[in-house]
Amino acid sequence: MIRLFSKYGASSSKMVTFYFKNKDNSLTKVTSPIGQNLLQIAHKNEVDLEGACEQSLACSTCHVILPKQLYDKLPQPVPEEEDLLDLAYGLTETSRLGCQVKVDEKFENVIIQLPKATRNFYVDGHKPKPH
Amino acid sequence: MRKIIYKFSRPTYLDFQATTPTDYRVLDAMLPYLTNQYGNPHSKTHSFGWETEKAVEKARSQIANLINTQPQSIIFTSGATESNNAALKGLYGFYGKQKNHIITTQTEHKCVLDTCRYLEDKGVEVTYLPVDSNGLISLQQLQESIKSNTLCVSVMLVNNEIGVIQNLKEISRICHQRGVYVHSDMAQAIAKIPVDVQDLDIDLGSISGHKLYGPKGIGALYVRRKPRVRLQQIIHGGGQERGLRSGTLAPHLCVGFGRAAEIALTELPYDIQHVDKLYNRLLTGIREKIPQIQINGSLEHRYKGNLNVSFAFVEGESLIMAIKQVAVSSGSACTSASLEPSYVLRALGVKEDMAHTSLRIGIGRFTTEKEVDFLLDQLSGAVRKLREMSPLWEMHQEGIDINKIEWTQPH
Repeated sequence: MIRLFSKYGASSSKMVTFYFKNKDNSLTKVTSPIGQNLLQIAHKNEVDLEGACEQSLACSTCHVILPKQLYDKLPQPVPEEEDLLDLAYGLTETSRLGCQVKVDEKFENVIIQLPKATRNFYVDGHKPKPH
Repeated sequence: MRKIIYKFSRPTYLDFQATTPTDYRVLDAMLPYLTNQYGNPHSKTHSFGWETEKAVEKARSQIANLINTQPQSIIFTSGATESNNAALKGLYGFYGKQKNHIITTQTEHKCVLDTCRYLEDKGVEVTYLPVDSNGLISLQQLQESIKSNTLCVSVMLVNNEIGVIQNLKEISRICHQRGVYVHSDMAQAIAKIPVDVQDLDIDLGSISGHKLYGPKGIGALYVRRKPRVRLQQIIHGGGQERGLRSGTLAPHLCVGFGRAAEIALTELPYDIQHVDKLYNRLLTGIREKIPQIQINGSLEHRYKGNLNVSFAFVEGESLIMAIKQVAVSSGSACTSASLEPSYVLRALGVKEDMAHTSLRIGIGRFTTEKEVDFLLDQLSGAVRKLREMSPLWEMHQEGIDINKIEWTQPH
């Protein structure tokens, strides 16, 4: 019996399907159980979302932009997340840190936009691999 | 008998709105960071960086205490001009797509007005609210100017030319009811009147270091965190100062600014008392010794360390030159270079002839009674002499109404 080593083990089998809009405007369809956060889902589906601090709320590289209706329905971010968002590249009014946002039914069929870049400078085109 | 000719010594400084002398206690606090403790406060890996970072953070909290907020809400800048630019351009940069209307007043500092003009070029609509003859904006007019796409209202708390204090608390209440951000240029108010940003309920505020007996070249921007105000930074880089103002901080300037703020907090009641006393002495003296004068700006809603007076029938620049041994200004320091009469006085409804005769006298922490008496002496003497030479004064004495004269002849 393999025990999954994950703090956020799949809590229920209910699935939700939505889309990531990549930097080149292409869409990646993803399906995930409810309760996972956006960064985990992105890494599972090879979406180009960097997560430098591994969900420990210490960087802004998992910055995503949500549609306004969805953003308004989610609970308010904690001040620590807001502080880090201040440092995110391409910040918008509906930005969140992907590692702090857990998906549920509200996410069905929404399009999550990835920003054009992160604070880390990859002007040479380098793409960091998830760890 | 040999006449001893004294060399002309430095004039008495009575221009505390232009700048203030750096308090020696501030200089003391700054010196270590100009000599031994030279580390970059952003160097995270060694004690040179840690010690200067500690000093900068201490200064930040000293400034935060002065305006009753948390240290994280204070961003260091190069001065109030940069803070004003950062606030207005920053708000527009972040929220500008849906909100592109800004309201300000006709008596703002040039850096606010010039920034608004620049934003107008970018497609922002700007409403410049007029002021009444006392220098105050009408809250009714403000209410009526707010539209659904209004981004923010920028009103300075204390005016630099006339010393008038706006009713910022009420302005904030009106604006927040309609979802509009409030920015205030507080440069002339900090350390002069009590300023509590929680009580005033503003979202952004500009502070200048050299107006509170601190060093020149440093200022701060108060950026509210609850509810959070987002700005697009005007200076990009490594993300210092919460990403809002990149660049290495100058520890000596920050520490000086912080110490000046700390002194201001403890000494504010004494400073206010001192300035009030000298203001009464000055005002009574001018009224007694010199007829035909006009005080520009509300006498009730005023910071008493700023007295803008017009002397009828006397030209302002020649008056300043006649009182060489006192340093005062006509209008404000930043408009001294341009030839136009002060736009602030024009907004008050002061006629051009009176605007040209005006003088701004600034009193501060280090002004003495003797200096005020000296000014009164010099001023009354100079005004009398200049009026004796003035044909307009002669005409006035004879009872001729100057305003009824046709000066130009058709040819």
